[in-house]
Amino acid sequence: MVHLLEARALTKRFGPVTAVDGLDLTVGPGEVVGLLGPNGAGKSTTLHMLLGLITPDHGSVELFGMDLQRHRIEVLSRINFAASYVDLPGVLYVQEILEAYADLYAVPQSRVRDMIDLLELGRLRKRRYMELSSGQRTRVQLGKALINEPDLLILDEPTANLDPDAGDRVRSLLVRLARDNGRAMLITSHNMPEVERMCDRIHFMAEGRIIASGSAAELTTSFGADDLEEVFLKVARR
Amino acid sequence: MTALTLPARAQRVRGVVRRDFAALRRSPIRMFEIVFWPTVELVLWGFVTLFLQSQQVPFVVGFLLGAVLLWQVLQKASNEISIAFLEDIWSRNLLNVQVSPLSSGEYLLGLMLFALGKVVVAVALMAVLSMLLYGFGITAVGAGLVPFMALLLVMGWSLGLVGIAAVLRFGENAQVIAWSLVFVAQPLTGIFYPVSVLPEPLQAVAHAIPGTYVFEGMRTVLSGGAVPWADLAVAAVLDVVYLAAALGVFAWALRYARAHGKLSRFGD
Repeated sequence: MVHLLEARALTKRFGPVTAVDGLDLTVGPGEVVGLLGPNGAGKSTTLHMLLGLITPDHGSVELFGMDLQRHRIEVLSRINFAASYVDLPGVLYVQEILEAYADLYAVPQSRVRDMIDLLELGRLRKRRYMELSSGQRTRVQLGKALINEPDLLILDEPTANLDPDAGDRVRSLLVRLARDNGRAMLITSHNMPEVERMCDRIHFMAEGRIIASGSAAELTTSFGADDLEEVFLKVARR
Repeated sequence: MTALTLPARAQRVRGVVRRDFAALRRSPIRMFEIVFWPTVELVLWGFVTLFLQSQQVPFVVGFLLGAVLLWQVLQKASNEISIAFLEDIWSRNLLNVQVSPLSSGEYLLGLMLFALGKVVVAVALMAVLSMLLYGFGITAVGAGLVPFMALLLVMGWSLGLVGIAAVLRFGENAQVIAWSLVFVAQPLTGIFYPVSVLPEPLQAVAHAIPGTYVFEGMRTVLSGGAVPWADLAVAAVLDVVYLAAALGVFAWALRYARAHGKLSRFGD
C-alpha cells in the first residue's frame, strides 16, 4: 500500500522526559486514523513532528514519498491542520482570514467562496473572528484547514471546545469529507464516540508509544471491553 | 512543484502583507499608533529646537528635526516587524502560519514589506507636520535622503529580526528585547549629537553601526556639505553584514525553537 504519511521510529525527548519513543505511524489515501491516549501520552508532540513544528531527535517523516525536512514547502502545501488550542487573528473578518490563507497556500481566491459555501459561513463573512461563538470559530478554522484541498488533514482535538450540537455538526462535516471526497485524516480526540464514528483505524498511545492498534471493533474485542471508552480507561489506568 | 514557483512564492508574500494590512485596517488603535508617537516626538523636539533658537544657541535648526524624522525610520522598521511577528503569538495564530507552506524567507519578506509601508506613511506624515509647524522640510537633506532612509530601514529590519529571534529562543518573556533593542543603538548612533562627543572606545563602537554614518551624513548635508557617499558606502557594507548576521541568528533561533518544542508552546 502506498502511504500518504509514513513516520518511522520517531523519537523526541525533552530533557529527561521521553515524549515520543520510537513511534511508527502510517496513513493511507482516504484513510481516517485516530491517535488516542491520555493527556501526556505524546499525541500532540507526534502531530507537531509530523507537521514540522518539532524536530524529532531520531526517526523520519515522509509525506507523499518526500522527506518533510528536505521538502518542507511542497509537503506543507498538500496538508493542513486545525487544533482546539490554535486560533486565528481575532480582529479580521472571516472572509479576510480565508483570503489571507488562500494566499498563504497559494490557491485561487475562488476557494474562499467554496469554503464559505461548504461551511455555511455566508452570514458570518463580514464578522470579526473574535466575535464568533466557539462553534462558529471551529467552522472558520476548518475553512482555513480545507482551503488548499489538503490530501491529508491533521486535526488535534477538533471538537474539544464545542457543545454537543456544534460538535455533532463538525463531526458530520468531517465524516462527509472523508467519505465523499476521500480525504485522509489523522485525528486526536478524547471523544470516544467521535473516534468510533469517524476512524477506520485507531492507535492508542501511552508514554510516547503506540500500545494498541486496530479498528474500534478489534480494539474493544482485544481488550475485552464493551466500547472504546472502556478501552481508553484500561489504557490510561494500566 | 507548483508550491515552489515564483508566482506561488509571490502570492504567499502577498498573503502576509494582505493579512497584516487587514489587521491594521480593522484596528483603530493600531492606526492611531502610527500617527501618535511620531507626532509626539516631532512636537517635543520641535519645541526643544525653538527653545534653543530663542536662547541663540549656535546650531543648525534642522539637526534635531531631521534626526527625529530619520530616527523614526530606524525605530519603526525595527519595531514594526517585531510587532507583526508578536501579533501572530498574541492571536495564537503562529502555529497556523508555521504549518503553512510559507517559507521563513517569504514570511520575513512579507513582514518587511508591511513594515516599509507603515514607515513610509509615518515619515510622510511627520514630514508634512514638520513643514507646517516648524518650517523644516525634510527635502533639505537633499539627494542623500533616499539612501539615508534605505540604510536605516535595513538596519532597523536587522534589529527587528534579532528581536524576533530572541522571542523564538527565550519565549514570550523576551518581548522586551524585541521592543528595546533599537534603543540600545540610540545613544551610540549619534542621532542627536555628533559621535565625537562620545568617549573614544564608544566612538569605535559607533563606527561599527550603519546608522552612525547616516546621522553624521545628515548633519554634514544640513551644514551645507556634500553627501558623504564614501561613508554611506561603508554603511551599506555594514548593513549587508548586519542583515546577513540577523538572518543567521533568526534561522538558528527557529531551528532551536523547533528542536526544543518551543514553537509548539506559543500556541498553548
